[in-house]
Amino acid sequence: MHKGYLCLVLHGHLPYVRHPEHENFLEEDWLYEAITETYIPLILAFERLVNDKIDFRITMTLSPSLISMLSDQLLEDRYLKHINQLIELARKEKERTRWQPEFQNLASMYLNEFSLARDTFLRYNRNLVNAFKKFQDLGKLEIITCGATHGYFPLMDVCKESVRAQVKVAAAHYESVFGRRPRGIWLPECGYHPGHDEILKEAGIRYFFTDSHGILHGKPRPKYGVFAPVYCKGTGVACVARDLESSKQVWSSIEGYPGDYNYREFYRDIGFDLEYDYIKPYIHPDGVRINTGIKYYRITGPGNNKEPYMPQIARNTAADHAGNFMFNRQKQVSYLYEFLGKKPLIVSPYDAELFGHWWYEGPSWLEFLIRKIAFDQDELSLTTVPEYLEENPRNQVVTPSMSSWGWKGYSEMWLQGSNDWIYKHLHVASSRMTELVKKHPDVNGVMKRALNQALRELLLAQSSDWGFILGTGTHTEYAIRRTKDHLLRFNRLYEDIKGDSIDQNWLGDIEYKDNIFPNIDYKVHQ
Amino acid sequence: MAKIKSKKTVVKTKKIIKKKIAPKKRRLKVSNPILDIAPKKDIAREQEVAIGTAKFSHAKVMFTQDLSRQELPSLYDRDMMALVVRDPWWLYTYWEVKDSTWDKFKAELKDEFYKARKILRVYDVSNIIFNGSNANNFFDLGIREDASNWYIDIGAPGKSWCVEFGLLLRDGRFITILRSNVVETPIDGPSWITDEEWMIPDEMFSRLYGMGFGLGKSSPTGGVWRKGIVSSPGIASMASPVKKKAPRSFWLEVNCELIVYGATEPDAKVTVQNKPVALRRDGTFTLRFALPDGKQVIPVKARSKDNLDERSITPIVNRETK
Repeated sequence: MHKGYLCLVLHGHLPYVRHPEHENFLEEDWLYEAITETYIPLILAFERLVNDKIDFRITMTLSPSLISMLSDQLLEDRYLKHINQLIELARKEKERTRWQPEFQNLASMYLNEFSLARDTFLRYNRNLVNAFKKFQDLGKLEIITCGATHGYFPLMDVCKESVRAQVKVAAAHYESVFGRRPRGIWLPECGYHPGHDEILKEAGIRYFFTDSHGILHGKPRPKYGVFAPVYCKGTGVACVARDLESSKQVWSSIEGYPGDYNYREFYRDIGFDLEYDYIKPYIHPDGVRINTGIKYYRITGPGNNKEPYMPQIARNTAADHAGNFMFNRQKQVSYLYEFLGKKPLIVSPYDAELFGHWWYEGPSWLEFLIRKIAFDQDELSLTTVPEYLEENPRNQVVTPSMSSWGWKGYSEMWLQGSNDWIYKHLHVASSRMTELVKKHPDVNGVMKRALNQALRELLLAQSSDWGFILGTGTHTEYAIRRTKDHLLRFNRLYEDIKGDSIDQNWLGDIEYKDNIFPNIDYKVHQ
Repeated sequence: MAKIKSKKTVVKTKKIIKKKIAPKKRRLKVSNPILDIAPKKDIAREQEVAIGTAKFSHAKVMFTQDLSRQELPSLYDRDMMALVVRDPWWLYTYWEVKDSTWDKFKAELKDEFYKARKILRVYDVSNIIFNGSNANNFFDLGIREDASNWYIDIGAPGKSWCVEFGLLLRDGRFITILRSNVVETPIDGPSWITDEEWMIPDEMFSRLYGMGFGLGKSSPTGGVWRKGIVSSPGIASMASPVKKKAPRSFWLEVNCELIVYGATEPDAKVTVQNKPVALRRDGTFTLRFALPDGKQVIPVKARSKDNLDERSITPIVNRETK
């Protein structure tokens, strides 16, 4: 008997990293690794499910910055180069490990995976957004949007114009890519501040997600806890909250899956393990060792001794874990069904890049889970928020509480000693942007280009990723540089626009470097 | 006549002293929020850090290359004060006073200006429209003379706040220089308000109209929500299992590889262990193998293009590890 719904959400986002001015830029690898290890494995899993005629529902954020990178020709060319390099390395590895069959099998596995990644990439015309769009058009995937550059909204509340710009630029970008308005949004870092639902409503967005306490601490007290959506008071925008039990199921120290000893060890990569001269062509041109993606060991145990990875055993473990996850959700919905007197909605959001990139077996786990839900039981069904609301339109009206899914549940990850200095600069830039828009409500030509570029620079500076990296306190140079460079470019544009003295060469140069959102309209920042 | 011009096998034993990458031990760590509230925060933080470095795995080897070295202005020559909420218990404020404003106060207050203390006055403005003098309550915070931002421990969730930066004169008068925006801290538990309001969006209601539906049974949410759960997500956007730091310990790792190389006529066919080998344009070839313990017999065979000549050399290598 059907007793409840499961809404799986994968939040796919990477900050906009694209440096045409450099032949090689290390941080661009974030994208290339995620393509090979996360996006393509997910796409292949979705393809198999569709081919096997398995009905499923997954909700997935594709952040506007991620979409922009996936559709960027320069980055596409560079990815192709990157994957070709990996294929070459895997070929060499296959030969080098001839006398160690346990490793040679793995080298063959990687060679197959990388070749398949290249084929898949080419099959979708080098633009993987086409693949995700296909699954959305088939009704299997609900793609939601995000802040334009993943700005952290609660700390932007003093300049709501920027929150509005983040949302409106994102919604317009989504529409240009997918041919319709976005119905839902993943607030960056799941960061909600009361009142921001008004901005979502203006943009035509009908639902968003919060962390558990976003609803649990809402006013008035939510009758069904996190197990039913609520409508925000005053706007009617629906809010659904994360279920912590299912989150823990995946990540907890007790039942958590990715730490299983049979799974692949993330920290043993041949980029670090192999002899220097041999691996040099495949690491950074300056000779700094980096991860290549070829990893030969399983987690093995708590010590440093690592045994070779055994793919079939790992795969079986992923299947077991999928069964375990489903079993626990069945128990959960059965219990809640009795307790609440209605069918609960369980929302389980995860960072998409953890599937595959960090947890190598994650995409297999997800595929097993979807298959098992389809065939092995009838208590639980996968759903999306719009589908659920269609069936259950009557919900409580609540004002959700300020919250995020970051460390400690609020804003501390992005507001602490190591990163608090950025907010004064960001807020001043926001108020300057608002000032410029007021002063230039309708301009054309170079002035319009400059104003549009000013908004691009502001948005790029606002990425929560920079604050996050600063907050972790290690390897912060790049995040500092990006924050400063975008703000410096913004400030110069501000002065130039005010003084009506725009340096067209320089403007052309930064348009070429920071080319995100070609159709941006600066007027949304108000 | 074809001949093998050179034949060499070189056995290289290379010590691979690895860069000390992050410790390899990894364990999942999302603490049980119900059982231990204090330590979990550190674990969550440690986790986020590990996660960040996993997703942004290359940030450690960033080269700033020709990125600009310019710095942001430290002052913007404007009077401003902003107040933001960090969490239910803490606020953060930053401010700037432009020189001309300071000059104005110096001129007005004369000597008193230099004897006054700079303070933050924190007002509880819950449920009122603050006009500067009608606060429910306030407290003063002494700050460092040169401070331009401050974290404020208000310790009282679910209230509205406004902060002023100003001068506390020796006679106890407070001179306001800047006033912040008003913020509201979130509550840190379930709301006491249990009145329920329900709605169906108009467009959905019109479809449902006439189909009939009943009110849900009333049940307390208190049982669903358990204190502690909420402050423990520990799963930020880059969330994933944390790896536990292994205790510091000295270590050494040694591996061996074998390089087999040689040369023949460029158009010859060469096999090594019966597998064909691609020759370089000059007829040379190099193969590289991970060399495990034990005996490796490595027959190398070359056959001329016209299949008339054949040469064979078989290095035998033993590796033993003590």
